[in-house]
Amino acid sequence: MSDAPSGVQLGQPVPNFELATYDPVKNDFGSVSLEQIKSEGKWTILFFYPADFTFV
Amino acid sequence: MGAELVTVSTDTQFVHLAWKEHEKSLENVQYQMGADPSGAVSRLFGVYVDGAGLALRGTFIINPEGTLLSSDVSFFNVGRNIDELMRKFKANLYVAKKEAEACPAQWKDDGDKTLTPGPGLVGKVHEALTK
Repeated sequence: MSDAPSGVQLGQPVPNFELATYDPVKNDFGSVSLEQIKSEGKWTILFFYPADFTFV
Repeated sequence: MGAELVTVSTDTQFVHLAWKEHEKSLENVQYQMGADPSGAVSRLFGVYVDGAGLALRGTFIINPEGTLLSSDVSFFNVGRNIDELMRKFKANLYVAKKEAEACPAQWKDDGDKTLTPGPGLVGKVHEALTK
């Protein structure tokens, strides 16, 4: 695990972040941000993984 | 279910497109595939591995108010169980609606027994769960 402290804590608000995305449904590039998902009244599930084209 | 699932790796969005087109097991993917080549978001969540430039296997659940409610991180070679993720997500949805209740270890889905923490429950969890 990296030694740098993370910027988030359980039970605390998460700062806004933005990610460039590939949207398979629209088959297009776009972006998503926490503020945008919150404004839609939705929960956010972030699923980090090391690399495309690998296993597991 | 009222949730936006976003996967994230340090690959660019272009690699995500290529992977989606190439890998048969991704055929039915409908979630957005996030790209974090600078590692900024991975660092924010404490999953960036500096030497490798890759993110660890981390899953985070954030409610619509923006509060982080669940964090689960593993090292590279052990995959995550999607049933467990669904269980945690549903449990979080449940306790968000029923603030006085808690979902115990055996809880899997709506309708399963929950606990109502309080002085009356101290030392009596077994009875509460088996009656």
